[in-house]
Amino acid sequence: MAGVNSPRQGAYTALAYVTLIIISIFCLLPFVWMALASVDSNAQLFLKWPDSWTFDNYIRVFATENGTRWFANSLFTVLSATILVVIISGLGGYALSRSKAWWKQPFLYGILLIRVLPSTALLVPLYKILLTANNGMGSLVRPLAGENYRAIMQMVGFIDGYLGLIIVLATGQLPLALWIMKVFFDGVPKDYEEAAILDGATLVQRIHRVLIPLALPGLAAAGLFAFMSAWGDFLLPLILLSSPELQTLPIGLFRAFLRVNEIDYGLLAAIATIYLIPAVIAFSFARRYLVQTFSGGVKG
Amino acid sequence: MAFDAFQKRKERQLLRLLLPALIPLAVLVIYPALYSVYLSMTNEALTGLAAAKPRFVGVGNYLRLFSDARFWNSLFVTFVFVVGSAIIGQFVIGFIAALALKRKIVGSSVFGAAILLPNAAPEVVAGFMWISMLAGGDHATLSKIMIALGLPWADWLQTFPLFMVTMVNTWRGIGTAMILLTAGLSAVPTEVYEAARMDGANPRQMFMRITLPLMAPTIFLYMLISTVSTISVFGLVYALTRGGPGGKTEVISVYIYNQSFTNFQLGYGAAGAVVALVVSLALGIAYVRSLKVEV
Repeated sequence: MAGVNSPRQGAYTALAYVTLIIISIFCLLPFVWMALASVDSNAQLFLKWPDSWTFDNYIRVFATENGTRWFANSLFTVLSATILVVIISGLGGYALSRSKAWWKQPFLYGILLIRVLPSTALLVPLYKILLTANNGMGSLVRPLAGENYRAIMQMVGFIDGYLGLIIVLATGQLPLALWIMKVFFDGVPKDYEEAAILDGATLVQRIHRVLIPLALPGLAAAGLFAFMSAWGDFLLPLILLSSPELQTLPIGLFRAFLRVNEIDYGLLAAIATIYLIPAVIAFSFARRYLVQTFSGGVKG
Repeated sequence: MAFDAFQKRKERQLLRLLLPALIPLAVLVIYPALYSVYLSMTNEALTGLAAAKPRFVGVGNYLRLFSDARFWNSLFVTFVFVVGSAIIGQFVIGFIAALALKRKIVGSSVFGAAILLPNAAPEVVAGFMWISMLAGGDHATLSKIMIALGLPWADWLQTFPLFMVTMVNTWRGIGTAMILLTAGLSAVPTEVYEAARMDGANPRQMFMRITLPLMAPTIFLYMLISTVSTISVFGLVYALTRGGPGGKTEVISVYIYNQSFTNFQLGYGAAGAVVALVVSLALGIAYVRSLKVEV
């Protein structure tokens, strides 16, 4: 081809490099600050080279702050929600793919529409529902628990308890996960199942022996997106949790940041980095699924 | 017929598999959405007299809402925020990045990863990092850069709050736009470009006459989705400015949050929430229709 090596093409390629370098610096600069500040013995608000390198900030997150607790809380609630999402969306996605019933289409449109509802707009009624459920759970637990009442309610309560946060987090991730699984099962031929049916397998056996092994890649994608989105959620733990023992990483970071008179940038940067790393790992795995899920499973 | 009975039994089984998904969605999404419509017609509050005995006030909250300058301000702020970041910022920069990455670039995967990284950052981390870039007057990183370049600096979040918040949200979404538009670009057949080159078309003509028209459906879809998802952004703005200074960055989700959980006016906040729900639903229906979903 004549045009490919012309000086003009070379100029365009150079322009492409310059553009990409500028955009990349814009994208990376905040991360560079955070990473450097987290290992700086004298971290400041602005970007600078560390005075001296130290892991002191990270150690302090776990030693003087409740970092271990925050991290464990985040991991426990988000992983539980992810597992719930994987199970429920695996079953539901299969049903949505195989059914020919009247409810299939309204349900699919429904979950696409649910994805667009802003969660702040649902927060107040959601809080009231959870409060009612929490009172119900409380009157159930109170006679049984005695003096452990508070500790048990922190586990199974709907407000300021793990259970409530996990269920609400999971529900928020369900629509996308159901969609991913439905599209995934659409691509799994029915032959395998029909063969299993002919062999006299029950539904449970079919799910266990045939569908779960086939569905693993889909479940991985659904789980990754559920994990990322639940891990990044700030609003729900902000509203639903108040006990210090239940705080998660985003709230720990936010609250530490609000102590205006004694802002410790090194410490904050270390918390933020610890919070960021699992998100980046999950995202790097989820990247390949990004295009399909973003368009909600469009064809063509 | 035996076959019909079998089919019916199968459908019942499938419905049972769907129930674990259906129940939480109904109880924790659909019901709250409907309940917020009811709530918006009461004077429900977290504190004071109304907390003990909420009254039905009909469209009172809506009348108050539509005469509330702060509400109109939040709609305006949301509009600028969405158009500025989702429609213009992320799209234009993402498209430029996608076009640049289409060329033979050494280290293209490194550039791609760098541009996608902000996407992985949780909202609060993003807000926190940008505090360093923008807050603190001449101490902010951006100010230091401007000073080093001999340019004027400002107290960015005080002087240009809405522009800065919009820029930060742009920063967060360039990667997704780039990925999607790259997929759209690679779907344009190369023969079309070759034919155009034979006819002596220059790159600008090829972009305007071939790339843009063929990409139009992808672009439209991208804009709908990013508009809807940008309307619900909360944590990023809340962590950066909490809606301030003086409501200049109070997007609708922050407005609803402030009314409900800072001012404790649940009924009034719900009226704002219903407006946000209706707008998002309308956009969502447009999205579903344009998808022509195969179900």
